[in-house]
Amino acid sequence: MDDRIRAVKEKALEQIERAQSLGELEAVRVRYLGRKGEIPLLLKTIGTLPPEERPSFGAEVNSLRERVEQALERKRQELERQVIEARVTEEKVDTSLPGQYFEPGALHPLTRALRDIIGIFYGMGFTVYESRETETDEMNFVKLNIAPGHPARDMQETFYLTESTLLRTHTSPGQVRGMLSMAGELPVRFVVPGRVYRRDPTDASHHPVFHQVEGLAVDTDVSFCDLRGVVMSFAKRFFGEETRIRLRPSYFPFTEPSCEVDVSCVLCKGKGCSVCGNSGWLEVAGAGMVHPNVIRNGGYDPERVTGFAFGFGLDRLAMLKYGIDDIRLFYSNDKRFLSQFRGF
Amino acid sequence: MKVPFKWLNEYVTLPWDAEETARRFTMAGLKVEDLYYDRLDISGVVTARILKVTPHPGRNDLKVGVLDAGGPKYCVVSGAPGFSEGNVTVLAVPGARLPGNVVIGTRDIAGTRSEGMVLSSNELLTGGSPRPREDIILLPSDTPLGKPAEDIFELDDWVIDLELTVNFSHCLSILGVAIEASALSGAPLRLPGILEKWQWASPRGSAEPEGMPKAKQKFAIELPDPDLCPRYVGKTVRGVTFRYSPVKVERRLWLSGMRPVNAVVDATNYVMLETGQPLHAFDEDRLRGRAIFARRSRPGEVIVTLDGEERSLPEGTLVIADEAGPVAIAGVMGGKETEVTEDTKNLLLESAYFSPLSVRLTSQKLKLRTEAALRFEKGVDPTAQAAVAERAAEMISALAGGEPYPGRAETNVLSPCPKVIRLRSKSVERTLGVAVSREECETILSGLRFGVEKSPDKTGSSEDSWCIVVPPRRVDISEEIDLVEEIARYYGYERFPERHLSKAIPGGPPGKDFVRVERLRDFLVSLGGLEAISNSLISPSDLAKLGWDEKDPRGNPVRLTNPLSSSESCLRTSLLPGLLKAVIANQRAKVPGALLWEIGNVFFRSSEELPLEVRELGIVSFGLQRPKTWLEDESLSSFFQMKGLVTAILELAGIEDVTFLPKASMPFHPGKSARIVAKGSTVGEVGELHPACESALEIIPPVSMAWLSLDALLGLSQEKKFTPISRFMPVERDLAVVVPEEVPAGEVLGAIKQTGKDLVSVTLFDIWRKPPVPEGFKSLAVRIVYQAFDRTLTEEEIAVDRQNIVRELERRFGAKQRV
Ligand SMILES: [Zn+2]
Repeated sequence: MDDRIRAVKEKALEQIERAQSLGELEAVRVRYLGRKGEIPLLLKTIGTLPPEERPSFGAEVNSLRERVEQALERKRQELERQVIEARVTEEKVDTSLPGQYFEPGALHPLTRALRDIIGIFYGMGFTVYESRETETDEMNFVKLNIAPGHPARDMQETFYLTESTLLRTHTSPGQVRGMLSMAGELPVRFVVPGRVYRRDPTDASHHPVFHQVEGLAVDTDVSFCDLRGVVMSFAKRFFGEETRIRLRPSYFPFTEPSCEVDVSCVLCKGKGCSVCGNSGWLEVAGAGMVHPNVIRNGGYDPERVTGFAFGFGLDRLAMLKYGIDDIRLFYSNDKRFLSQFRGF
Repeated sequence: MKVPFKWLNEYVTLPWDAEETARRFTMAGLKVEDLYYDRLDISGVVTARILKVTPHPGRNDLKVGVLDAGGPKYCVVSGAPGFSEGNVTVLAVPGARLPGNVVIGTRDIAGTRSEGMVLSSNELLTGGSPRPREDIILLPSDTPLGKPAEDIFELDDWVIDLELTVNFSHCLSILGVAIEASALSGAPLRLPGILEKWQWASPRGSAEPEGMPKAKQKFAIELPDPDLCPRYVGKTVRGVTFRYSPVKVERRLWLSGMRPVNAVVDATNYVMLETGQPLHAFDEDRLRGRAIFARRSRPGEVIVTLDGEERSLPEGTLVIADEAGPVAIAGVMGGKETEVTEDTKNLLLESAYFSPLSVRLTSQKLKLRTEAALRFEKGVDPTAQAAVAERAAEMISALAGGEPYPGRAETNVLSPCPKVIRLRSKSVERTLGVAVSREECETILSGLRFGVEKSPDKTGSSEDSWCIVVPPRRVDISEEIDLVEEIARYYGYERFPERHLSKAIPGGPPGKDFVRVERLRDFLVSLGGLEAISNSLISPSDLAKLGWDEKDPRGNPVRLTNPLSSSESCLRTSLLPGLLKAVIANQRAKVPGALLWEIGNVFFRSSEELPLEVRELGIVSFGLQRPKTWLEDESLSSFFQMKGLVTAILELAGIEDVTFLPKASMPFHPGKSARIVAKGSTVGEVGELHPACESALEIIPPVSMAWLSLDALLGLSQEKKFTPISRFMPVERDLAVVVPEEVPAGEVLGAIKQTGKDLVSVTLFDIWRKPPVPEGFKSLAVRIVYQAFDRTLTEEEIAVDRQNIVRELERRFGAKQRV
C-alpha cells in the first residue's frame, strides 16, 4: 500500500473516532471526502504515477474511501444515539403542572332528555314535527273536542292573546296541524316537542312555561295494542328495563279510550314516598286512541283509519331522570346548574 | 268523591277488601286519590241501661241515675230528656276517651258525683257538646249491655277517595260507584228503598210505578225558562218533628266530608250522596203564594243564602222563587228565609234538573262551590227527579217522622227520548286490536246497566252490531267510540297484548332543519357554550331597558290579556333580554364568566290572526372567557371573541360572502358592533353591550352578544359538496402594506381576495402602528397561501400576482408596500 494512502487512512480514522459531535464529524467528512478533500486529492495524483501502478492505486484509494465512509456512518449513528440519549435524559417537564385550559360547553338537560326521547321514538319510526307556540282557540281546544264551556277548559288555565288566540296549553294542536300537513298521506307517525304555557303560579313543580312531547300515529290498522306496545317500549327504554309500567284508564277529550301511563316510582322503587304520593307510581304520560272527531279535523276519515296519541311533560321526565327537585332550575340559566350536564 | 266502604257494600257485596277494591277501581278508570282507614278515636264508651232515676238533690234540671253497663253499675248525673228509667243509652265510663282527646272522669256536678257521662250523638262523634235540643243517644231496649260503642255503631271504615275525571260524573254518588263495582265484580246491585220500584238507573231511566196514589198539590210548578230548568219536582212531607239523625247517618255524612245539620237536611244530603241527585228542603209554610217558579232573576233581586250572606243576584241567574221573590239560587244554595228550622212542620222537597252550564256559571260568579252545584254542573240523570224525591221523602219520614203527602207538584218539559247508539263489533276490534267476544261485550255493557239489544239489520248490511240503549244518567256517552271505551276499561287495559308498529318508517329521518339545528347545538357546545332556556314571557320593561321603544318591532311585543304578573306579561321579541337576565343572575352568584346561548322562538305582532314566530339563535358572553394560567394570559368577553364565534357559525352553515357592516342597533355599543349581512339581507347582529344598557341593567362589563336569525341561516345555507383536493403544493407569501388608519382592514383583505388568483387563504397576522410607519397610518401584514388546482405555480406567476395585488391596493386605498 502506498504510504500516502496509509497516512491518510490512519489520520482519517483517528479523527473520525475523535469527533465529539455531529458537527465535528461533518468537518472530518468534508476534510477527507469533500470536493477538495484529501481523498479526492489523492485520486488526482494518479496521473503522476506510472501507468502500470495506476489501477492498483485507484483501487486502493476507492477502498480507502469506502472504509472512511463506513467509519463516518458508524460514528454518525453513534453520535446521533448519544444526542437522543442526552435529550431524553435532559429534557423533562413537570407532568403535574396543569395542561392547557379547555372549558367544554353543555346541552341543556331538557335538550339532552329530549334527544334521548326523540332517539327512542325515531327507532320506532316516528319523525319530528314542530308546531307553533301561539295558537288559535280553535286549534288548541275546539279541534281537539274541547268546545267552549267544556269542563276540560277549567283544567287548563290558559294565557290568552286575544279573545280567539292564545299560548298553546299543550302540544296536542300539533296533532291536527301535523295531520293536515300530511294531506291524507299514510302512515302518519311523528312526535311534536315544544314549549307549552299554563297559567299556574310558579313553584317547585310548576312553571308557566314548560315543555311537552306529543306523539301521533295514524294508519288503517293502528289499534290500542299498538299504543300499548309503543308506550310500554318507550317507558322501558327511557326509565330502564327494571321499571314496572301500567296503563290506567283516564280521560282526555281528544282521545278515547284514554289512559295515563304510570311507571313505578324511580325514587322509592314502588314502595311509596313523598314524590309518588305514597302510591308507588308516577304519572308520566297521557295517551289514548285518537277521537274520531280529531281524526276528522286532521283531514282523515275515522271510518277508514284509526290512530293513537300520547303526550308527556318533558320537564317532569328530565326531573326524574336527573334527580332534579325543582322545575325552576331549568329556567334559571345558572352556570352552576347548566355546567353539570357537560359530557356524553 | 269519598266512598265509605261499608256504605258501598250496602248496595253491592264486594268479594274484595277495600285495598283490592281501590286497585280495581284505579284500573277501571276511577282514580283513587287516597285510601285510608277512618276509625273514631274513642275508648271506654259502652251501652248501658238506666236502672233507676232520682231527682238531683241540688238542681231540679238535673237527674241522678244508676246505670247498668252489663254488670258494673255507675252513678251518673244528666239533664237530658231521654234520661229516664228503662232507656238504653251510651255511657262514657270514667277514664273513657272521646274524639278530640276529650277524657271523661268522675266529676262533681252540683254536689253529686257523676261516674262518667251519658252521650249525645255529637259528643260521641266529635267530642263536642250536645247541640240545641239534642238528646242522649237512645238505643232499642234489647240492645246488649256493656257492649263497646264500636261494636254497636259503624264507627270505623275504609274510605276510598276518588279523583273523578270529568267523564265520571255518574260516579258522584255511592250508588253510581256501586254500579261500577257491580260490573267489575259481577256481584249484584241492591237498590235501597223505593228506588228499585222506580227502576232508578235503568237503561231507559226512572219511571213511576203503576198505581201510585195521587192528590191535589198545594203548589203549581211554573217553568218560564225551560232552557235553564226543564224539570222541577216538589214533594211535600207533612208533620215532621225536629230531630238529629241517628249515629249511623251522621257518621256517614262525616266520612263523606259533610257536616250533619238536622234529620231533614241530613236526609236530603244523604240521598244526594246516595243517588247523585241534589235535593233541597223548604219549610212549606214559609213559602208564599201557591206557585213555585224556576226563573231568571230580575234586576236588583237579592237573597240571603243559608250561610247568612246577603247576595245580590246577577241579572239572569236561575233562581227558585215563590210568588214573593227568590227563595233559592237554583242548584247552588237555598235561602235563609225558607230554610228548615226547629219549628218546621211541613216540607216541600225540591228535586230538579238544572242546566249544567247555568249552574256552573252561577257558582263561578258567586264563588259558591257546593256539593249540589258540583253535581248539577256535571249533569244529573234527567229522569231521576221524581224517583229521588220519593226516596228522600221516604228517608225523611224515617229520620224525622212525618208522612209523605201523596203525589208531587211537578212540571217536566223534557221529552223522553232514549239515547240509542249502534255499536259494531268491527269498531271494537279495529280500535282495540283485539276481538273481544260478543258475550263479553254484552256482559260488560249490561253490567254497567246499558240496554243491550240485537241490532235489527235495517240497512241490509251484514255488519255484526248491537243497538245500545244508554241510561240517561250516563251523560258522558254520546257516540259509538264512548261505548268502545267502556268495553276497553272493563275488559282491562292489562289484558291487551303489546304490538309494535310494523310498516316502513314514513317520511324518513327527522326534518332536515331539525337535524341541522341539532348539529348547530353540538357545535356551540364544542365551542364551550352552555345552552340556556329562558322564560319566553317577559316584561315590557325588559325591552325598554334594552333601548327598544314602541316604534321598534322589538319594543312592541305581543301582550297577554290575562298575565299572572306584569313581569311575565308579554312574549319575548328577542332572546337577548333572557340571556342578559341570565348574565345578571350569574354575576349575582359570583360566576366570573360564561358563554351562554339559546335557540328559541321570538314573537312579533302581525297583521295575520296569529303572531309571527321567528326562530333565533342568541349568544351572550360575559367576563372571563379563559382564565390566566401559567401557560397563557386570560381572555375576556369581547367584540372579536363574539365575531369569531359568529364567523365560525356562518362558515358551519355554509354561508359565503358575509359582511360585517359597522354599527348595530340597540342594545349594541355603536362603536363596537356590526350588522351581519349575507346575500343582501341582515341575518343578525354582533357586538358589545351599549354602556347605557350596562347601567340600566346593573350588569358588569364586558358583555358581548350576538343574535342570528336561524330561519335565514337555514334558508341561505348550502348543502355540503365535496371539492377535490389539489395534488400541488401550496406556497406561502407574506405581504405588508401601509394604509391610512381610516381604511377598514376588512376591505383591504377583501380586495386582496378579489384581485389575487389561485388564493387559498388570506390571513391578517399583524397590525403595526408605530415607527417607521408614519402617524395616521397602519401597516397590515398578511399571509397569502397560493395553490393552483392544475399545476405547480411558478415564482414568476406569484410575483406577477403579488404586483397586481399591490397595484390594486395602491389604487383603491393609497396603500404602499412595506419592504
Ligand atoms: Zn316513590
